[in-house]
This record gives sequence, C-alpha cells and structure tokens, in this order.
Amino acid sequence: MASSFWKGVVGVGLFALAHAAFSAAQHRSYMRLTEKENETLPIDIVLQTLLSFVITCYGIVHISGEFKDMDASSELKNKTFDTLRNHPSFYLFNHRGRVLFRAPEQEPSTPSAQALPSNPLRLRKLENYH
Amino acid sequence: MMKIKMRDKLRKWREENFRNSEQIVDVGEELINEHASKLGDDIWIIYEQVMIAALDCSRDDLAWSCLQELKRQFPDSHRVKRLAGMRLEALERYEDANKLYDSILQDDPTNTAARKRKISILRAQGKSSEAIRELNEYLEQFVGDQEAWHELSELYINEHDYAKAAFCLEELMMTNPHNHLYCEQYGEVKYTQGGLENLELARKYFAQALKLNNRNMRALFGLYMSASHVAASPKVSAKVKKDNVKYAAWAASQISRAYQVRRVREENVKCSAHGITKAVYTVAMVHNVNIIHL
Repeated sequence: MASSFWKGVVGVGLFALAHAAFSAAQHRSYMRLTEKENETLPIDIVLQTLLSFVITCYGIVHISGEFKDMDASSELKNKTFDTLRNHPSFYLFNHRGRVLFRAPEQEPSTPSAQALPSNPLRLRKLENYH
Repeated sequence: MMKIKMRDKLRKWREENFRNSEQIVDVGEELINEHASKLGDDIWIIYEQVMIAALDCSRDDLAWSCLQELKRQFPDSHRVKRLAGMRLEALERYEDANKLYDSILQDDPTNTAARKRKISILRAQGKSSEAIRELNEYLEQFVGDQEAWHELSELYINEHDYAKAAFCLEELMMTNPHNHLYCEQYGEVKYTQGGLENLELARKYFAQALKLNNRNMRALFGLYMSASHVAASPKVSAKVKKDNVKYAAWAASQISRAYQVRRVREENVKCSAHGITKAVYTVAMVHNVNIIHL
C-alpha cells in the first residue's frame, strides 16, 4: 500500500532526526573534553537535521489523509435541503411509509417484475440515485 | 469488495443524514445477514441505522431483531432504550413510549435524546403548540443545538408564525455563516411574510446565498421574484425601481443560462431555453395579480 511507504519515510526521517540529535550531543561533549568550545557544529550534522526534518514533514503530509478546501462554503456547495432538513433526533414515524411498505397479507401473488437485464440485483441497490 | 462498498455507502448515508430508508434496509439487511462477522465493531452502529430505517419501511420484524441484538450487547444503555422507545412510537403506543423516556430522564435528567423524542411524540399526536412550548424550554437550556433550532423553525412555519421562524433561522445563520441554505431559507420566509421591507430583506439574503454558492437555483429564482416585486411596488422611488429591474433582469438571464448549459449537457432535457425564459416572464405576470399578502 502506498501509505506504508510513506509511513516508512516518516520512520526514516524521525530516525535520522534522532541520530542527528545524538551526534550533536556527542559532538558537544567532545568539544567540552578537548576544550575547543568555540567551534560550531559540523555542517554534515546540520544538513542531516534539516534534511530529515523536511523528509518527516513531507511523509506526514502524505499519511494524514485528504486536504479540505480552505473556503468554508465550498464543501457545502453540493448540500441540498433534502439532507439538511432531516433531523435524526426528531424523526417521526407516523407517515404513509408505514402503510405503503406494509407487506401485503392476503393479496394474490402478482408475477414479480423480472430483474433489469445487465446490472446484477446487488449493484442496483447501491446505484439507484445516490 | 462489495461489503466495503456497502459499508462506505451506509456510512455516507449516516453522516449526511440521508433518509433513503428503503435503500438502507436493502443494503443493511444484506450486510447484517451475510457479513456480520467481518464488520467488527461497526456492526452496532449499522444495527441502529438499519433499525430506524426499518421502522420507516414498516419492517417491524427487522427492527425487532436489530433491537434484540443491541439489547444483548448493551443491556443498560440509554441509547438502546431510546431506540426501543422509537419502536413503540412507530407502533403508535405513545403512552408506553412516554413512560420509557420518563424513566430515562429520571435516571439522567440531562439526556437530550429522550427530551427530543418526547417533543416528537407531541408532534406526532398533533399537539403542535405544546411541542413548540416544550422545544422552546429545551432550547433555553441547550442553546447550541442546531438541529433543534431548525426543527423549531419548521414547526413555526407550519403554524404560519413567520416572524418567529425567521428568528430561529437567524440563530442558525449566526452560528453557520457560510451555509448558503440557511440564508436562502431565511430569504424565503421573509418573502412569504411580504411587505416592502421584508421583500428587500429577502432580496438581500437571496443575494447572500448566491454569493456563498452561485449554483443555488432556488436563491436565483428568489432573487428574481423579490426584485420584480420590489420594482412593481408603487411605494418605491424611481431609482430603487430601476435598480431592482436591473437585478431581476440579471437573475432572469442567469436562470436561462443555467437551463441552457443544462440542456447542452443533457441532450434529452425537453425544456428549451426560450421556453424557460417565456415561463419565467409568465410567472412574473401571474404574480402581479398579487398572490402574496402585502
């Protein structure tokens, strides 16, 4: 999966960051021992820190899922009243669905309509209009 | 593969408040019967979703079996008790349902779900003024409940108390400034109230809804209607009249353009752009015979 590759990238980046931190600490203690405290950190440690930071950030961005639009109203553009006016906590059940969908008790069985030609019955359930 | 698609569809329907109960029962029943073991912990919320859809579709057997599964897994849960109450409501056993909700509220006075169901019972029994009163009391305590504000606005609209409905929608617009649908519904309520200031206000809110979402056709029609009415009113100055005629003309052109684009995209749409423009102007003339109350 692509995401495990990016997880690997983040892991490598974090490890490199930790490694650079240890090297810097070790370098500091070496400087203290040899009393040359005015020498700056060697450039390869600095480069390693910056590079591993960039790699970690890049990897995290890829792991963390889809970006959303900054414009707050844009993700509402497809919302309609069909769904907005449904309040699940206030659903009423005394509508005609109670009668419409009631299983016919003693109706003579009518020949059921044949299933649509190409689409298998299962897929049709999902594709009706949503 | 199928079951992942089905599960994702069910989640989409659940999160976006779709009430396509027939489809939910179809898909959910299959998912439960065939793939129950592979769903893990998702299955409980699917049971809840399918149960409510089954109540809509009069599938009491399915609802009962879902309820039994949930009761077995969560024996003392208030949420499951509420579902049992909903089932009683669907069977029109309102006293039993009320007793159940009262027992939940005795256990936990802050339970909002039970209070909302009691209000729905009042509404189902047709006692709308009591439902409104109870809902107002509920909203005094839980001011941030968006669903309840919208429900209250719907109750007021059914009672033709448009001023109070507008107030509820104002609360909603305040907390959701980027939602074009609340702006548009507010504009519609103001338009229905009638009177010159309300019409101008309606036009402004329709324009705001269009600013937030330029594909909102209802707002476009609303802008056209309110601008034409303001222009036709005898009490306005010539400048205001001219401006509103311009707005109405712009809205009409946008509407006919939208239909034209749609016609080009879907070859078999029967309405022609010319026909729609004619229809729009005919509607305008009909309305000049004053159907709205001024």
